[in-house]
Amino acid sequence: MPERMSFFIPRESRIHSLNPLTKLTLAFSLIIIAFFCPGLFLPITINFLVLVPLSFLGKVGKEFIQTSIRLLLPLFAFLFVMQSLFYPGGKTELFGIWIFSVTSEGVVFAFRTATRILVMVSSFLLLLLTTHPSALMSDLARRGVPASLSFIITSTLQIIPQMQAKAATIQDAQRSRGLDTGGNLINRIRSLLPLVGPLVFSSLVDVEERAIAIEARAFTLPVEKTSLVEIPDSPAEAILRWFLAAVAIITIGYRIWLSLSSRI
Amino acid sequence: MAVIELKNLTYHYPLSETPALQSIDLEVEEGEFLAIVGANGAGKSTLCYTISGFIPHFFKGELAGSVNVAGMDPTKANLGTCVQKVGLVFQNPFNQISGSKFTVYEEIAFGLENLGVDPQEMRERVDEIIRRTRIADLRDRSPYALSGGQQQRVALASILVMKPQILVLDEPTSQLDPIGSQEVFQVIKEMALQGMTIVMAEHKVEWLAEYADRVLALSAGQIIKLGTPQEVFSSSELPKHGVGISRYTQVARRALQENLWLEGRRMPVTLDESIEGFREIIP
Repeated sequence: MPERMSFFIPRESRIHSLNPLTKLTLAFSLIIIAFFCPGLFLPITINFLVLVPLSFLGKVGKEFIQTSIRLLLPLFAFLFVMQSLFYPGGKTELFGIWIFSVTSEGVVFAFRTATRILVMVSSFLLLLLTTHPSALMSDLARRGVPASLSFIITSTLQIIPQMQAKAATIQDAQRSRGLDTGGNLINRIRSLLPLVGPLVFSSLVDVEERAIAIEARAFTLPVEKTSLVEIPDSPAEAILRWFLAAVAIITIGYRIWLSLSSRI
Repeated sequence: MAVIELKNLTYHYPLSETPALQSIDLEVEEGEFLAIVGANGAGKSTLCYTISGFIPHFFKGELAGSVNVAGMDPTKANLGTCVQKVGLVFQNPFNQISGSKFTVYEEIAFGLENLGVDPQEMRERVDEIIRRTRIADLRDRSPYALSGGQQQRVALASILVMKPQILVLDEPTSQLDPIGSQEVFQVIKEMALQGMTIVMAEHKVEWLAEYADRVLALSAGQIIKLGTPQEVFSSSELPKHGVGISRYTQVARRALQENLWLEGRRMPVTLDESIEGFREIIP
């Protein structure tokens, strides 16, 4: 099992030492701006003039670019091919391949969607690369998000590899008793069915034990929890957060005003 | 002074006709190390859960008789108060990892965060406990990337760091390999020697014979024997109830048949006792 099950890269940088909520607010504001502001080239400008420089300031530039390319390149390739060929509102033909024609409306739509997704993924990537998941969760808990909610989020992150390992064990056991799990696609899918029962039931048994373990560590004790990780925060950051939130709200308001006035 | 006092305790799990524990009377003194032995289904885990307050708070069901643990009645106190006084460690090391922490160090601090301990004190207590349980070298590892024995020591440390008055262990080594078991036993032994009150359900009779002050043998929810390891583990009644006896006793019994053990000499339960016995017959 891997040692770390998160994107976080521990380094010393000004981005790392920001409060997690500030980075979360930044991510959400940039996404809102990218989605609601008009302007075809705005999202890609945000990505290259804000997010990429910030990732280098956070000393995770290389990982930032690598991960975003790995995550998004296949998606973008698919998006461009599908939309430029099959975009329903396409009128202006740029060039034709066999019976298909590439329309400029399709290309523009694909570009807009792709750059928006780029901003969405990259802003969260910046947050995840520079923020320890525990720090994010305890900061949210400190600000009144229920502890059980942040527990569910962090434990889900770790439970996926465990479930995979368990599923592999069950499948090995079934295979050793003659279940055919190879072959064509249909056969493979069919062999997944007998996996469901044992996986679900054994996980339910685990849940009871885990609940006991967490209770034994006073999880439900009605006192105010403290946090091992000290989370930095400053009034300047609070102002920055309010500023970002205000920009995001103004953007949404502007967009609503635009669409209302165009209707009249 | 008795820190655990059970009087005429009977307990039924929900929807169960037969009692899981029946008319249990038990007193455990402060600083005592009590071992619980018995076949599967004899009520060992149930007794552990009752002492640590998980019965009746987590498992409902019918509880009759009186329970007094560390000066409180766990049936009346809430579970949060119970777990501060009584720490519980159980079999599966994997399921005792909270799952919400990314390093061993944070994992051990989890209980203290829930108790609202000041971060400065938290670090001191975690540092001390990882030293005592010898897992300081694991502090930055992921709790999931450890071996069973290491995980169980992390689970033990996570409970000990909360400074419970009583430590309850429910077969803590039954899923571990011999080396893992030994590492966990070593920590428990040190806790016992430091005078912590320990209640431990366990199958490894030879180890219990060495370190437990008293042994309680259970069968079908009832006490069949309670006494020193010497009294309980050499008893010929135990195997009838599916409880293993010490391998040293087995050797001595066979030796008696072969005239290699003195007639009337008491049966040994530890290695030292059996060696003493054999010295008498083999000059």
